[in-house]
Amino acid sequence: MGLVEIATGKVLSSFSVFLFLTVLLLVVARRISTSVLLFSVQSAIIAAGVFATGFQERLAEAYVVGALVLLIKVIVIPRAFFSLVERLKTSRDVKAWTTPTQSVFIAAAMIYLSYAAVHSYGQAVNVPEDSLAAAVALILTGAFLMVSRKKALMQMLGLLVLENGIFLAALTTTFGMPLVIEIGIFFDILIGLLLMGIFTFRIRETFDHLDVSKLRRLRG
Amino acid sequence: MKMAINVLQALILILGAPLARGVIGKLKAWIQRRQGASIWRPYADLAKLFRKEDLVPPSASWVFRCAPIVLLGATIAVAAFVPVVQPSALLASWGDFFLLVYLLALGRFFLSLGALDGGSAFGGMGASREALVSTLAEAPFLLGLVAVSILAAHADIAGMVTWTLHQNFFNVSAVHILAFTSLAMVVLAETGRMPVDNPTTHLELTMIHEGMVLEYSGPSLALIEWASAIKLHALLALLIALFGPWGMASSGSVEAIGLALLLYCTKAAVLMLLLAVIESGVAKLRMYLVPDFLGVASAVSALAVIFTMLVKR
Amino acid sequence: MYQGGKKAGGEEFTVQLVSIDRAFIFLLAALGLFAPILLLAGRTKRARGLAIALIVAANVVGCSVAALCFWRESHSLLDFSRITPFSFVLEIDKLSALFLLLICTVGVPVAIFAVSYFNRHYPEERRNWMWTFFSLFLLSMVVVVTASTGFAFLAGWELMTLLSAGLILMEGDSVERRHNVFIYLLMMHAGAAAVVAGFFLFLPYSHTLDFLAIRTASAGLPAGIRTAIFLLAFMGFGTKAGIIPLHLWLPRAHPIAPSPVSALMSGVMLKTAVYGFVRFAFDFLAGGPSWFGYLVLLAGAVSGLLGVLYAIAEHDLKRLLAYHSVENIGIIYLGLGTSLLFASHQAPLWASLALIAALLHTFNHALFKSLLFLGAGAISNATHTIDLEELGGLQQRMPITGTTFLIGCCSIVGLPLFNGFISEWLTFRSFLAGFVLTNSKAQIVLPLMVGVLALIGGLAAACFVKVFGVAFLGRPRSAEAEHAVEAPVSMRAGMTILAAACLLIGILPGLLLHPLASLGQALFPGAGVPEETLIIARVIPWIAAIILGVVVTTVLLKRTQRMVPTWGCGLPQLTSRMQYTSTVFSKPIRFVFSAVYRPDRKIERLPAGQPYFPTSISYSSVRTTSYEKALYRPFVDLIVSAAHQLRRLQTGNIQVYLLYIFLTLVALLAFLRFQK
Repeated sequence: MGLVEIATGKVLSSFSVFLFLTVLLLVVARRISTSVLLFSVQSAIIAAGVFATGFQERLAEAYVVGALVLLIKVIVIPRAFFSLVERLKTSRDVKAWTTPTQSVFIAAAMIYLSYAAVHSYGQAVNVPEDSLAAAVALILTGAFLMVSRKKALMQMLGLLVLENGIFLAALTTTFGMPLVIEIGIFFDILIGLLLMGIFTFRIRETFDHLDVSKLRRLRG
Repeated sequence: MKMAINVLQALILILGAPLARGVIGKLKAWIQRRQGASIWRPYADLAKLFRKEDLVPPSASWVFRCAPIVLLGATIAVAAFVPVVQPSALLASWGDFFLLVYLLALGRFFLSLGALDGGSAFGGMGASREALVSTLAEAPFLLGLVAVSILAAHADIAGMVTWTLHQNFFNVSAVHILAFTSLAMVVLAETGRMPVDNPTTHLELTMIHEGMVLEYSGPSLALIEWASAIKLHALLALLIALFGPWGMASSGSVEAIGLALLLYCTKAAVLMLLLAVIESGVAKLRMYLVPDFLGVASAVSALAVIFTMLVKR
Repeated sequence: MYQGGKKAGGEEFTVQLVSIDRAFIFLLAALGLFAPILLLAGRTKRARGLAIALIVAANVVGCSVAALCFWRESHSLLDFSRITPFSFVLEIDKLSALFLLLICTVGVPVAIFAVSYFNRHYPEERRNWMWTFFSLFLLSMVVVVTASTGFAFLAGWELMTLLSAGLILMEGDSVERRHNVFIYLLMMHAGAAAVVAGFFLFLPYSHTLDFLAIRTASAGLPAGIRTAIFLLAFMGFGTKAGIIPLHLWLPRAHPIAPSPVSALMSGVMLKTAVYGFVRFAFDFLAGGPSWFGYLVLLAGAVSGLLGVLYAIAEHDLKRLLAYHSVENIGIIYLGLGTSLLFASHQAPLWASLALIAALLHTFNHALFKSLLFLGAGAISNATHTIDLEELGGLQQRMPITGTTFLIGCCSIVGLPLFNGFISEWLTFRSFLAGFVLTNSKAQIVLPLMVGVLALIGGLAAACFVKVFGVAFLGRPRSAEAEHAVEAPVSMRAGMTILAAACLLIGILPGLLLHPLASLGQALFPGAGVPEETLIIARVIPWIAAIILGVVVTTVLLKRTQRMVPTWGCGLPQLTSRMQYTSTVFSKPIRFVFSAVYRPDRKIERLPAGQPYFPTSISYSSVRTTSYEKALYRPFVDLIVSAAHQLRRLQTGNIQVYLLYIFLTLVALLAFLRFQK
């Protein structure tokens, strides 16, 4: 029993560090499959955090949510992505606007910014700073991925990372949202993924490529 | 007594360096499903080279002949800074990690000059690429060490090791993880290992470090090979000392030293296995992707420094 | 020559103070009066020889005076106010003593070098004039660093500019040279104007321009005036020191000067600007708000990085060395900025350490930069070119020149056992102390500066591998390089003295560190002696011993050697053109930092009509620094257009001019009326 307690304590105190590492690695990843893999690792870390919180706070719901995270975000969604990449037969490159060096410095700045923002907020409310900063960093990273990657698939992935961040923020501040809402959000993501999958196929069929920087007809 | 153990540490690093190389080679061979050469092979190689004669181009000056010697001297001096079995070292002094980095730079400076003195295009190519890699690797090297030093509130390596010894292994701090990541990347770059450079390549156009030593032969080449083995061993020992020193002897008794030595060999074996896995699993980066690799290392180490401030808040 | 100094036995010597003053007067008179008179009036070789000996002797005396004032707490004051229109007082305090030591220590070997150099390069009559200007140039720099009143300082300042411009113009004549000298004079005068304004802003509060009065008055300065003075001093001295973007004159003026003069300009004259800035910022203003420190840090970081990046792209040796001066001034400013930052956060111990680092780097840079420029002079003397692409294999033909140049290269890169390392190590140490402060911004910025300085050092190492490797090693790339002969004795002597000094300070840094520590204490009351300065002095000799031991052991082991041509993949003969050139060597680094360089590339294929069978292809890549286009040109255009507007006032009609006078009268009366 003691070992499990220690383990959960360590997980809770250190998992933000590993999330930062996934953030840094996500922005330099050059292949879609690597990015998806990092996303699943990220979700696994968050799931571990959920389980640890559930154990510490004695919330049974947390185990359900954690299992859902594990199932959907670590197994289902990445597999869907991989099969999508296979079927689209698109090149594996991520096609970023920024070089890896620039991206990683931007990521470092984003991490610092999230800490700075959380510090000014965290003093008023009693929240663990590290996890909240990690959550904000994930949100920023998701947005950054959406902005800086030209492939449509990466827009999807950016959205998913962003959702990860919001989920983590909710977990940190309120120890999870009610179960119903959680399930609803998961459902939302799955439908969203389905739609995006359909859309990517349509884009590919119409334009013969997946480069969103060339889709310029969205003008009035 | 402490002085004797310090000398012993330096000797372990210097004399055990070819063994480290041999072990890495053997591990790589196993991973690649080969038999591999014996782990004692590098010693035989050095002995063979020492018996041969030196071939010197007629246009070369004394810089060509002296470069391997200066390189070896600087690297031996580096080995005197790193704690192995006890948290102190022969030349440990305040601010010595700067001295360590710059001694490596001294060796590399003379090696590059020796490469250019050979008068061949390969030497120039190797020296020019090495200049690029080492330029970009210095900043993350120093920043990573600075981050650990700020956290430990000590500026000598021995002091940092002592501080880490008092920490709990499971209290992984963000600074340490980030610093270890960036320092590991820098060690790969500095020692010329994959994915930055292939130490076993035979194609001159893919060489960085090997290209610089193409003109050398006989005892000069032996000195250079030995020096690069010492560099690898010393940097691995530095990583172990800074990030995983638990088990180091606190007293001077033979049992404690023996135990510490055993633990060091185990940890070194783990690191070498990791290195072998990386070398066998990752392809060499194209030359102009190495700056990206080192740029990531720089950003991670800068983040480590920033985190020291955030952690102390 | 001691004044109240204590000797080891504890006895007190109270020999008259006058002796130091006499020596100082001898220094000034020899450089300013006797040598020029001998050179210009006496036409014989003996007179010139005597004058040169006098110059060297004066410098040696200057060294001893400075050494006494620096190491022994002596003091000297010369008041010439009776014979000059404004108050002209020269005083040697600790700070002045350091810089006087710098000037004279560099002056001796450079003068010795110049004996052969001027002999070979100039005809008889011009030689005398060159030596005159040389002597007066040294005098002007001595005056600048020992001045104790504003008038003396500014007089020396102006003389420095004019004399160096004169020396450059005497080297040759061409449209381009005159244009470069014009830009040099223009920027120097703009800087001097800023310095004058800085001095004059003190006047309402100090009533005279004596440094003592200024010091006491600065305590009561309002914050706005303080800021104005600081900015004026920063811009004025920054122009002279060569921080980016005020460095434009450096790569134009330093390469076209004769080598000994380049050595003095780059090695010593830039340091007088550092001296001026230290005087203003640390002595007069005694620090300021923290943004002063951040500004200087930023200037230092930018100058250091861009200076070395521009240097790497050069293959003209002297321009390369000029850009390296920009880089080293950047490093000095990094130290100064750190010191200001610590001072503004009430950490006098670390402020003192950072200042020690900056001042030591100033001294070291004077030594190794002069050495490098003298080496360039020796190269150009032997091969008549300083283009790296035409050199090669000089080490075998000019061994002493090569070895001393190598020592200079190692020093400027900052390798251990050479003097550059000590000052860079101290600068790193002062950055590391940043975490002692409680201000979070400083806690991050200062350690991150470690990364900046490390990058600068790495780039400098790459650049000097290129310089020494391409110029001295390998095979000669041109006929001149192949037939180069060793430099004459006096040139060798000059370079050896400087190289020995570099090695001496590198292995025994304690010599300079202890008096520098007490200088730091003087400028920052309340600071102790930083212990670290002493520790490094103990470790370095051990490292030297280890390396020496290894060298000796391996050299003693007998090994057979055989001469075998370089391996060329089986090709019958390698030519020197197959070696790496300077441009190619720096290509990877230039590629990575390509955002900094924006070259104009031109590829021309001949004949134009047949693209697939060219008879010749020429490639040229010209780099123009973007400052001229982006910063200076708009600024100059603005001034010119403003001048054009003003020109419209000049109608040439006399009645309009009378109207102007009338209108002024009316305005004055109106002002009087409504003023109350």
